[in-house]
Amino acid sequence: MKKIYFDVEKCLGCRSCELACAVSHSAAKELEKMISDKDKSLPRIKINFSKDKNYPMSCRHCKDPKCVSACMAGAISKDEKTGQILYDEKKCVGCWMCVMVCPYGAIRPNKKVKIPVRCDLCTDIGEPQCVKACPVKAIVYFEESELEKVKSKK
Amino acid sequence: MSKQIVIIGDSAAGVSAVDAIRKKDKESKIVVLSDENFPSYCRCVISDFLAGKVTEDKLIYRSNEFFKENNVELKLSTKAIKVDPKKNRVVAEDISDNKAEDKKARSAKLQFDYDALLLATGASPKFPDLKGIQKKGVFGFRTIQDTKDILQFVTMADTACVLGGGLIGLKAAYGLKKRGLDVKVIIRSPNVLSQVTDKTSAELIQKRLSENGIEILTGRDVSEILGNGDIKAVKLDNNKVIACQIVIAAKGVRPNTEIISETEIKVNEGICVDEYMKTNIPNIYAAGDVAETFDVTLNKPSVNALWPHAVDQGKISGANISGDSIKYDGSLGMNSVEFFDLPLVSMGIYKESQNHETLSKIYNNDYKKVVIEGNRLVGAVLVGNINHSGVFLKLIRDKIDISQIKDRLLNENFGFADIRDLIKEEERIYVK
Ligand SMILES: Cc1cc2nc3c(=O)[nH]c(=O)nc-3n(C[C@H](O)[C@H](O)[C@H](O)COP(=O)(O)OP(=O)(O)OC[C@H]3O[C@@H](n4cnc5c(N)ncnc54)[C@H](O)[C@@H]3O)c2cc1C
Repeated sequence: MKKIYFDVEKCLGCRSCELACAVSHSAAKELEKMISDKDKSLPRIKINFSKDKNYPMSCRHCKDPKCVSACMAGAISKDEKTGQILYDEKKCVGCWMCVMVCPYGAIRPNKKVKIPVRCDLCTDIGEPQCVKACPVKAIVYFEESELEKVKSKK
Repeated sequence: MSKQIVIIGDSAAGVSAVDAIRKKDKESKIVVLSDENFPSYCRCVISDFLAGKVTEDKLIYRSNEFFKENNVELKLSTKAIKVDPKKNRVVAEDISDNKAEDKKARSAKLQFDYDALLLATGASPKFPDLKGIQKKGVFGFRTIQDTKDILQFVTMADTACVLGGGLIGLKAAYGLKKRGLDVKVIIRSPNVLSQVTDKTSAELIQKRLSENGIEILTGRDVSEILGNGDIKAVKLDNNKVIACQIVIAAKGVRPNTEIISETEIKVNEGICVDEYMKTNIPNIYAAGDVAETFDVTLNKPSVNALWPHAVDQGKISGANISGDSIKYDGSLGMNSVEFFDLPLVSMGIYKESQNHETLSKIYNNDYKKVVIEGNRLVGAVLVGNINHSGVFLKLIRDKIDISQIKDRLLNENFGFADIRDLIKEEERIYVK
């Protein structure tokens, strides 16, 4: 499947990705209007600032997803065809089991609306907005199978 | 080769075993028995059903279609009463309501022969040995049916007493409070959640519950349940009497092992299994709340009756029944709950002891503690801000040497970036 990868050497920590993500997942879908949304939209990608480097992080859509086994409400599932981890907000009860088991810390609780904040690859739009927003191309989106090629080119 | 597989229990463990078997094997016949009257549902969510937060249809975990699509014969209201490992046979009886009337039909035993058997019978509430415990209005809190029975009483009740301050007791208390009842939780220990988390975090939760009108009586036990037929009150060990119409027994659970009591299958607290989830009988497996597995933080076998473990263990037993030899990587205590907007995550060892070093930090309602054994993390507790808690779980499970990052563990945004260099990256994240 196509996944999001990050280049730590390039990331400046400008948080354009976080902003683009929050906007595209907001009710208003526009930055100026989003400010007055009742429930604030939270970014599903977050930069972890560690020592001198910046590590962006978002859901890995793992092969062996811990969140799927842990979801006691049956709200998280894996689409065996696409490999994507799907989330059904209607079933979620905000128990934070997914937060507790994600080894990447890529799922956070939205405490106000009681739902986990997790990357959905912007499937409804077609292309992850963080990728588009990154001014230094530190966020890349390609097939997992291409990974080796990309690495060896560098 | 096509086999006949029998699974007793259609909850977390049983269902994930079905998933795993059907991934490899579309041929074998699978029969799933359940003594409940509902297809598999989200057991942990019954407290939200009690609270009125979700409706019954939202509890469904796998619908009847799932079993049909996977070509599984699901026998609801069918109680296994005996396992005969010599004949490779399960004896069961139909306990559906219409059959209950008809004694003859009920006593006609059903038989299910198997090549492989999975015991996924879960656990049941322990009822304390108390005078009056059998009275109408005393409930366990484990099933949809329990919840419906409680809800029948809720309309006529103004006060409920919950015996036990564990996770299930508190969840029941929360649900009943949301229904407008006066709720009193009676706990023998000095604080709530004493089997789940440390004192400091438990006190934060306890305070939050009290602030929201749930009364907590600690260091007390109930000595008798009073009333003629229906409950009128409970009597405490200091002779104080509390009027109430509902009592919830939440004094822990016991693995459902009765059906194998006459067999040679080894049972300690739960059914003993090896790392392949196999019992001492080669074609019989056990998974979920009924199984006793190796605890990676305690370093000994233990029953960790938790949903994620039941799913993982079911998956492994299913795969191994279908010919794999996958090892289970062990269990540990791990809980995530939230009461009245205050979240708590507790994992592994949380108590102070001589063998462990603990580091902790508290400000307002944010609390973080880590428990270290040598150079390994063996436990963590987080209240308030639970972001990145899974990173701690990763460190515990993978037994990572944390000496290099020890001084960072309590940082507010300690996360994956801090451990990246210490672990094997299972999923690639960074191209550079
Ligand atoms: C109110 C509540 C809240 C919970 N909250 C959490 C939580 O927050 N996090 C967490 O990790 N866990 C939680 N749990 C625990 C979790 O529900 C269990 O760990 C999980 O359900 C175990 O799954 P299982 O498949 O092993 O067994 P079970 O879910 O117990 O299912 C076993 C099934 O087998 C059936 N059965 C038993 N004996 C027989 C027989 N002889 N014949 C036929 N059928 C039989 C039972 O009736 C049952 O349907 C909670 C439980 C409750 C009750």
